[in-house]
Amino acid sequence: MAMMPKRVKHRKSQRGKMKGNASRTNFVAFGEYGLQALETSWITARNIEAGRVAATHFLHREGKVYIRVFPHKPVSSKPLETRMGKGKGEPEFWVARVRPGQVCFEIGGVGEDVAKQALVRVAHKMPIKCRFIKRRHSL
Amino acid sequence: MEKALRLKAEIREQTGSKHAVNVRKQGRIPAIVYGHKKEPVAISLDAHNFVKGLHHGHRLLDVQLGKKKEKMLVKDLQYDYLGKNIIHADLIRVNVSETVKVTVPIELKGTARGTYEGGIIEEHTDRLEVECKVNDIPESIVVSVKEIGVGDNLHAGDIELPDGVKLASSPETLLVTCSLLAAAKSTEELEEEVPIAPEVIGEAKEDEGEPSEKEKA
Repeated sequence: MAMMPKRVKHRKSQRGKMKGNASRTNFVAFGEYGLQALETSWITARNIEAGRVAATHFLHREGKVYIRVFPHKPVSSKPLETRMGKGKGEPEFWVARVRPGQVCFEIGGVGEDVAKQALVRVAHKMPIKCRFIKRRHSL
Repeated sequence: MEKALRLKAEIREQTGSKHAVNVRKQGRIPAIVYGHKKEPVAISLDAHNFVKGLHHGHRLLDVQLGKKKEKMLVKDLQYDYLGKNIIHADLIRVNVSETVKVTVPIELKGTARGTYEGGIIEEHTDRLEVECKVNDIPESIVVSVKEIGVGDNLHAGDIELPDGVKLASSPETLLVTCSLLAAAKSTEELEEEVPIAPEVIGEAKEDEGEPSEKEKA
């Protein structure tokens, strides 16, 4: 498990609901190109790590990859062959809550075609539909 | 940018998000006009012409509002959640002779010297606030990054601005840096850095202090 918080207030969390669209982190802020989520979903730390590896591997140490999502939410599960009850299961993995519009990955320092190819590879690792976007320079 | 974009505007009698949605359905963009110590007026603009004008770099508008013609400057734009469509515009009344403060995008030109040495150009700010006459607003400020080597920085005070344009942002504003790229870490390396389970804030405090009532019982 590559990404998880260092300190948390509570070890376990309820599932929650994800309503609406992203009202912030919905534009490219650090790099030149980005990958924007088009669906609502939990993205696991494993998905994020797979995306990071895919992008850095493709870029061959050219350019910089920015990860704009962080898995803050613990997801718990019960062990196999366990009867129901006896309390909530132990945290198994961590997820980032992503809503439509959220920019998940950004790339800077490379040309558009290279960035596009790298982000397509990242998009394949994501459990949701994504689109390629550019930084908005004007107003 | 000398020519102003000519647009016809309609006054919006009803305001609010519900009515704004209806305005957008009709192919128009809701906007607000303010400035010159006059009452703000809610208007709507033709979406196609307005967006087309913005794509061509127009910032100054010549808006016909009823029988009146007024010069306006695009102050702010609001986009939808995907950043695709403009959903609202803020326009400010201006005179041609007036000096205004506007944000202008920065355009980086050339390949930095540092990139040949294994560095990467990072753009920290992509727009600058400048002060100039309404007719002299530049479409963009072109900044040459050819001479930037690894470890060099470019600040707002270092760049040459067009004639009649003054810098309104702080001259210390960092625009561009060129830094060496650190080697990407492997998954195994990252796993070593991250603890197996995160520290729980409340539990750590309990361990240090006196045992709780439950533990005593």
